[in-house]
Amino acid sequence: MERMIIFCMIFFCSSMALTAAPHKITKYKQLLKTINLLEITVKDKDVELLHTPENPVDECLSTAATCFQKGILKLQPENSQVNSTVTQAIKVLRRFTLSHPGKCESSCESYEKKNPKEFLKSFAKLIQKVI
Amino acid sequence: GVECVLFNEEYMTCVWGSRETLTANYSLYYWYENRSPVVECKQYLQDRGVSIGCHFNQSEIIQFQPFHVLVNASLGGRTLEIPSERMELQDLVKPEAPVNLTIRNMSSNQLQLTWSSPYPRAHCLQHAVRYKSNKDTSWTVRAPWIRHPYGCARGRAVHQHPRHGDYEKYYTFYVRSKINSYCGSTQLWSEWSVPVVWGSNSTSKGMVEEQLHWFWIHMVLIPVASCLLLLVLVVLLVRMERVWVILMPRIPNPSKNFDELFITHNGNFQEWAGVPKDFMESFKPNYSENICYVSELPTKESYEPRWEGSNHPPSVMPGSPAAPQEHSPYKNSYVGA
Repeated sequence: MERMIIFCMIFFCSSMALTAAPHKITKYKQLLKTINLLEITVKDKDVELLHTPENPVDECLSTAATCFQKGILKLQPENSQVNSTVTQAIKVLRRFTLSHPGKCESSCESYEKKNPKEFLKSFAKLIQKVI
Repeated sequence: GVECVLFNEEYMTCVWGSRETLTANYSLYYWYENRSPVVECKQYLQDRGVSIGCHFNQSEIIQFQPFHVLVNASLGGRTLEIPSERMELQDLVKPEAPVNLTIRNMSSNQLQLTWSSPYPRAHCLQHAVRYKSNKDTSWTVRAPWIRHPYGCARGRAVHQHPRHGDYEKYYTFYVRSKINSYCGSTQLWSEWSVPVVWGSNSTSKGMVEEQLHWFWIHMVLIPVASCLLLLVLVVLLVRMERVWVILMPRIPNPSKNFDELFITHNGNFQEWAGVPKDFMESFKPNYSENICYVSELPTKESYEPRWEGSNHPPSVMPGSPAAPQEHSPYKNSYVGA
């Protein structure tokens, strides 16, 4: 009886693990769609420039993710009509994190500052890399 | 310029021209931005003695890192540089064509086409299906956005089944794939896959005869056989009382129980019920009765005259008879007293 229970638990856990992997991809796809939406609704002129990691190396993936997280919060909507869309999108994106082993030599501030559209393009590229 | 293509993320070729246009000696140098030193191509692609391109192994390919290429042409001592280009290799991926195309009948008018892709990450692919029948003049292309998170890249194309008499139609299907925008920004489709055919190809007379044969079987043999079967069942039913009774049960008829009453005793309930004869006799009367007529006699008080408008009644003189008209048999005796 006990062996049966243990076997069932192992089976259940492994099936959970198998289903977890595709969820990550689905989550990333959702993030990409949100970024595409933001690209057309954020204000691009007369706004603060943001530190944009450009093609970070593998060791710096988690630093880059944190950097994007911080930058996302500074985005502003282009007009009042898209206010709620942008707010919702920022809420979705600001929880994005990556974990990768290795020590990164650059910090967020070391990356060049760019305007919001370039920032979002680089963000999309980062997700394309890990998807 | 230099055109580089990553084939299925396994190897890459960068080509700068063809045999016809190139005359000089070429050499290619490449590097990744901020990463690697400038390296010369290790494996050149030759066409009849002239280098026209460079072949890169999988280990030399890094995606999501800006890639720079510089081609030097030397002709008679002079060196000419073809301008360096900066590219991102994830936007230059050309996946291999899908394989294992199979067709399955789903229902009366739907076909399911499935395939798999040799590209490792199936969730990065989008596909297009191209098909036509042998009677169509042009190809139909279906390129929906098909997403699958993992496993084989599969697709399904709904298609109209040829009609029953249309046995000479057959369909040809091709599939190709492309990296979708979840994994890169490329416009490079793969080559069309090896085609798969559905339907019958033969137009020979034998085929038509076979179809006619099938027609006769369906339209004649089967109805006749089922009618015979029905006939056998009906005969069986009628002949076998056991089976008949189940279908047509005997409805009880109680009139038989009352045959005695209505026929033998002619409806005489007492006779049939068995009432004893002397009991019946006792109800018959054995005497006769005369009818007695009864009527009402008229009385004397009804002749007394009425005194209208007077209060006192007529005085009665003692000794004198109450009414002069009265004739009483005691009159004589009264006067004599």
